[in-house]
Amino acid sequence: MGKFKDLFVKRHTEFSPFYRWHHWIRFFSIIFLIISGFYIAYPFLSPEVDPNPTGFLYAKGRTFHEIAGFIMISMFIGKMYYFFFVKSDRDEMRSFKDLFSVKKWMKQIGYYLLISKHPVLSGAYNVLQLVAYLALYLMLTFLIITGLILYMHVYHDSFLAFLNTPLTYLEVMFGGLASVREIHHVLTWGIIVFIIAHVYMSVFNAIYGKEGTIDSIVSGYKWEIPESEK
Amino acid sequence: MEQEKLYQSLSDRLGKLSKFPRMKDDGKSIASLLEEHGFSRRDFMKWAASMTALLALPASFTPLMAQAAELTDRLPVIWLHMAECTGCSESLLRSDAPTIDSLIFDYISLEYHETLMAAAGWQAEETLESSIKKYKGRYVLMVEGGIPSGESSFYLTVGPKGQTGESHAKEAADNALAIFAIGTCSSFGGVQAAAPNPTNAQPLHKVTQKPVINVPGCPPSEKNIVGNVLQYILFGTLPALDAYNRPKWAYGKRIHDQCERRGHFDAGEFVQEFGDEGAKKGYCLYKVGCKGPYTFNNCSRERFNQHTSWPVQAGHGCIGCSEPDFWDKMGPFESPLADRLYHSVFRGLGADATADKIGATILTVTALGIAAHAAISVIKKPKE
Ligand code: HEM
Repeated sequence: MGKFKDLFVKRHTEFSPFYRWHHWIRFFSIIFLIISGFYIAYPFLSPEVDPNPTGFLYAKGRTFHEIAGFIMISMFIGKMYYFFFVKSDRDEMRSFKDLFSVKKWMKQIGYYLLISKHPVLSGAYNVLQLVAYLALYLMLTFLIITGLILYMHVYHDSFLAFLNTPLTYLEVMFGGLASVREIHHVLTWGIIVFIIAHVYMSVFNAIYGKEGTIDSIVSGYKWEIPESEK
Repeated sequence: MEQEKLYQSLSDRLGKLSKFPRMKDDGKSIASLLEEHGFSRRDFMKWAASMTALLALPASFTPLMAQAAELTDRLPVIWLHMAECTGCSESLLRSDAPTIDSLIFDYISLEYHETLMAAAGWQAEETLESSIKKYKGRYVLMVEGGIPSGESSFYLTVGPKGQTGESHAKEAADNALAIFAIGTCSSFGGVQAAAPNPTNAQPLHKVTQKPVINVPGCPPSEKNIVGNVLQYILFGTLPALDAYNRPKWAYGKRIHDQCERRGHFDAGEFVQEFGDEGAKKGYCLYKVGCKGPYTFNNCSRERFNQHTSWPVQAGHGCIGCSEPDFWDKMGPFESPLADRLYHSVFRGLGADATADKIGATILTVTALGIAAHAAISVIKKPKE
């Protein structure tokens, strides 16, 4: 059996365990952040009007939003470390080379317009994908900063109190707390659009790319036809 | 220990101040003024205790506060009106009966205040000029109102000489000992500086180089106005300020942090619309637009009109009136921030766009694009 398999396709590790775990933890925390965030923005669930003490639904919503926020932040930091310092992850960095090649851009756009072949990539991601990921990181960075400013005003003496002074500078730069909250809200929409596009592109590549990229984020493996078999 | 040191230094300062001459010749003492208006010494001490608490000083400092109030007539004050509605002066003076706060304000040596003084025309102008000259570098300047400035400064032209408000404010600020911007307009520009700001109204700190303490609010409570005068008399220094130059003792916390309805907020008990069951029960006003979570002020603790009431107690959310650009940033006042309307540059196209509407539109366009792309890809397969 094993021999048979090796004959036609080669199995190689596309995503390390860290990469896969961080991806899914981050995915679920962001989904939760979006839902709980919209609830914070407009509390669509309210307990019945009742004079007795209630379950403090809104406060819990905010608490879990913040917890998910910190999980998301740790994934963000972990991934940053992985990107910059882990040798086996150099493939990601190599993708940046293609950004400066007009030909790769043309071919990539052409591929999605269904008129040209997929370009050969220098690294892990194609140029459009890379730009989308850069946008995601930019949005996440601002979501984290604005989120921490909002957090600072909920828990004044939190374990992050040492950040209060720099965060206050940023708060003023953003134009006050109301603007901070608004930026936080608008960026949420940016994240939603990213997720939709990201999922579509993954499915698209899984169907037409013939490399099984969807399950690789779960299993870690990608399948390719070895040169000798082509 | 530190407290004792502070007490001693403040008391030394007041001692020095009391050697200064009284500014008014007819000078009645605060004691006789209070008696005239039917306040007992006890009322006065209670008031002093509450002011002490307001400034976040220990209760043992109450006698100092009382002494400071008695010395307010040693400090000349010039009050200028710029582009404004006089609401800040009204906040201080129009209480249901003369309050101790408003009495203190009478007692202060108010050299110039257009609403209160009897002088008019040339006489008024003369008063302003001579007091600036006479008390050069020694008076406290309080300014109410935004200041049309630059090429638009003529929109505010005052007095018999037809001078602009801007030049008045500049001159008065240059020669002042301490400067307070009273109200949101002089602190941040306020309503008349809202987009598109037709008169180019600017806050006081934009027309002078000197440090300005902002006391915003539309209007600020009488306590915050008088509190600043007393703070200055007590300490002789500028108070600890936040990032917007607002005294921290008054603007250090959000309305939301000390709100009487905060419990309902955390419980998720909201007024859904004005007049509903929740409104009758005093539930949280967040969903009907309260901007308390973004507004730094002490209304929820100090209230207005001798602690009688304040907007949230009366059943309407905070509109964020003491924040920079509140008119542009906090609207609509009766729904949450996410419903804010964006100023559209495309000749009013999408004038009713909110963040959620724009987001949903982009999302729909994305979804349509994806559907189209997917459909075409099925028919015309991508190249390998
Ligand atoms: C993908 C990331 C995130 C998304 C999509 C998101 C979404 C949202 C949304 C939609 C709101 C409501 C804004 C409004 O009222 O209009 C919100 C509020 C808030 N978020 Fe986030 N958020 C994210 C990350 C974070 C992070 C990392 C933190 C930091 C711990 C954070 C802390 C907060 C806080 C403290 C509030 C306001 C709660 C309050 O004032 O009661 N968020 N978030």
